[in-house]
Amino acid sequence: MPFEPLPEDRPSWRRAWQLADPAYTELAFQAIYAVRQGNLPPTDRSEDLSRKARLRVLQSKLLVSALLGFLSMGSLLLLNPFAQQLFVSVMPQGLYVATVLGALVVLELTLLWWTGLQILPAFLASGIVPLLRTLPVDAVTLRRASLILLLRLFDAPAITCLVLTPLAAGIALDSAWAGLLLLPAVLAAVTFAISLALLSGRFFVRHIQGARGGLGPTALRWAYLVLWAVPAFAMYGFITIAPAFLRYVAALVIYGPSSSLDLIFLAFPFPLTTLPAWGVGLPTSGAFGLDLAPIVVGALLYITALAATGWWLRTAPFRLAVETPLASLPTVPGTIRLRYGSIPVAVLRKDLRTASRSPGYAFLVLLPLLDAGALGIWTYVANPNPTDVFSLAAAAVSSAALLATFFGPAFFAVEVYGYSYTRTLPLPGRSLLLGKVALVAIIYLFSAAIVIALTLLRIFSPGLFLAFVAAEFPAILAAAFLEFGILFHRARRKGLPITNLFAGAWWAAAVSIPGLFVAGTPLVVYDLLRIGARGAIAAPAMGALALVELAIAAPFALSVAGRGAT
Amino acid sequence: MAASSIPGSAAGAPPLAVDRLTVRYGEKPAVSGLSFTVRPGEIYGLLGSNGAGKSSTIKSVVGLVRPLQGSIRVFGVDPEREPVAAKRMMGYVPESTLLFDALTPREFLEYVASVRRLDVARASARLVDFARAFQIDRELEHPLATLSNGTRQKVIVIAALLHEPPLLVLDEPLNNLDPRSVRIVKELLTRYVAEGERGVLFSTHTMEVAEQLCDRVGILDRGELKGEGTIPELRRHVTQGDPTLEAIFLKLTEEEEGVRDAVRTLTRG
Repeated sequence: MPFEPLPEDRPSWRRAWQLADPAYTELAFQAIYAVRQGNLPPTDRSEDLSRKARLRVLQSKLLVSALLGFLSMGSLLLLNPFAQQLFVSVMPQGLYVATVLGALVVLELTLLWWTGLQILPAFLASGIVPLLRTLPVDAVTLRRASLILLLRLFDAPAITCLVLTPLAAGIALDSAWAGLLLLPAVLAAVTFAISLALLSGRFFVRHIQGARGGLGPTALRWAYLVLWAVPAFAMYGFITIAPAFLRYVAALVIYGPSSSLDLIFLAFPFPLTTLPAWGVGLPTSGAFGLDLAPIVVGALLYITALAATGWWLRTAPFRLAVETPLASLPTVPGTIRLRYGSIPVAVLRKDLRTASRSPGYAFLVLLPLLDAGALGIWTYVANPNPTDVFSLAAAAVSSAALLATFFGPAFFAVEVYGYSYTRTLPLPGRSLLLGKVALVAIIYLFSAAIVIALTLLRIFSPGLFLAFVAAEFPAILAAAFLEFGILFHRARRKGLPITNLFAGAWWAAAVSIPGLFVAGTPLVVYDLLRIGARGAIAAPAMGALALVELAIAAPFALSVAGRGAT
Repeated sequence: MAASSIPGSAAGAPPLAVDRLTVRYGEKPAVSGLSFTVRPGEIYGLLGSNGAGKSSTIKSVVGLVRPLQGSIRVFGVDPEREPVAAKRMMGYVPESTLLFDALTPREFLEYVASVRRLDVARASARLVDFARAFQIDRELEHPLATLSNGTRQKVIVIAALLHEPPLLVLDEPLNNLDPRSVRIVKELLTRYVAEGERGVLFSTHTMEVAEQLCDRVGILDRGELKGEGTIPELRRHVTQGDPTLEAIFLKLTEEEEGVRDAVRTLTRG
């Protein structure tokens, strides 16, 4: 006899929360243990695993929140009277405040968006929302549950922005009213960031992860990934160009109304960040004749956009999550000829191919390269004095070295993909290690090549730059060997498969910091010798020390990895 | 044919010998003192209900799970001491089609062939044959994440067979396959062992498949071997008449009464 169904619940947020809560645990579990990729979870009790997964996700969110909080509190420094004096002589005080707050809000938007780019593919590809859809739950509750699930991925960072940023502005401007007036700008930044993350996450899942193989599609994938990684440079960009931008705005204000000035004041979030300055009566135009109309129009425009985005976001998480996650692709005749070489090269190619369809890993490859590009462009624009050539070479090499070393260990995490299958292959530990070290070395060499190529356009001293790159190169290899050696050692000691070392702040700290130490020591020695009037031996000493490090680290790592399989 | 003709194997050693294998996940026992041998030229079926310990046994054999006790020998080689040598002699089809999702089948098979150090021309030629046989030659350039479970299963079967290993370890290999591919795999396995030297460990809970394919079966229940032999041997051992393998299985695992109770409960009122 069929069941008599219970009376249907009316749509309620409480019911939606009840649905979203276990879904969130499942999402955290998938994100941390990567069980869908074949990773075997540790043998803890299942309740402990769930709790640990949620804790790890919370820790990640708190790290992002700490960075955002640091930025908010940093604005206090920029808004203090001393800092203002540097610029207020040439621009109205209110304008300065609006510009600083605008920069802060844009930074928050970019960091939240970028954080979302890391987690949204997991949300969309997890299949959790489609699973909820199979339950006899009304459509409104399902939409609400999906929205709650999405918002919980951003909760701590978003709350940090919404609370700390107005609070910091209120303290800096000594007015609670000013803090409250900043709220629309921050709310808009958070809403736009989550929406952008959702849309761009969907784009990546459909068009990057699902892209075909072959040279052309591979080049296209990397091009998209470069564009995707650019927001992460927002903070770096702001720090480097902020003074120049402020001077530019001040100059425009002095010359009076212009279309350039109008465009700047129309850009997000300037019209909204002008509100706190107005709220406390700071002059935004004064004697300089700033036109207020674009600011009012802009503020209304962005508040309308905020309302529209909020309305869209109400249903979008559900709609996008239940769509086919991957674009259906036409079948085409494939290349049946295999091409491959040694095992370490196979490991390297596999990692690069995986990274090209996995934004998180692509970022690890691209960050040092883009940083090198930014540094090179900045050097070119700054047109440095030729006498600074040694400092420039040292800075270029340091940047490439430290970034490649810091992110190196994360490449082991790529093994999570297809983890169980990899471990059934006759893959010697040393071959795996060499493949990973090769990847870090390539990133270093490419980064150094980019920054040096751009610097050479201003100061043509290729021999010196190449000598620096070569002198540091053994230290990069040593750092990579040490980092991967530590990972292997840890895995063997704990009895865990190497691939079970899920990404976590502790692992990165325990592995990356020794690596940074090894990569950085020759650079520090170079600096000390140069300062200490032993300039002639500084670079050779740097190279010699790097070679010694390599001679110690490589045998350690190779012996730890051994000839056995992973 | 002597097993010693297989590179890296010990003279006279069977394709697979499992002795008193015990596997635990924390406090939870999965396999307890299991012993069996896959002889040359045979397909050995490991049968059991869900959670009986089939996959844990297979994962121990291929090196995914570290046994608590017992020994495993692949053609006489200890996979714990010489994992690379043991893994070279094995081809493995896992229970689930979890692969490198970000790679295309061609990229994945290139990786597998490279790690296995296969001759490029020969591996390419075999891939052409396999891709056409399984009708996936038009899908070789799409990421595995975008392909159906059936296609992914075909890719993993190809990866296991590409290097013609002397021991095949197959965990529910026919899952998700279409009837044409099921037939091809069954025929391949039968011919594969016919030359008399290779062995296949085949796990399934589908009795009809085991009945059709396996030379001998071992029936696992809660991590212990409840019966082992050819199907006629098991029939003789269990009861008179001509019972199906399903009936033998239920008898050995003492589930007959449980099944009757369950059906009675579920159809009540």
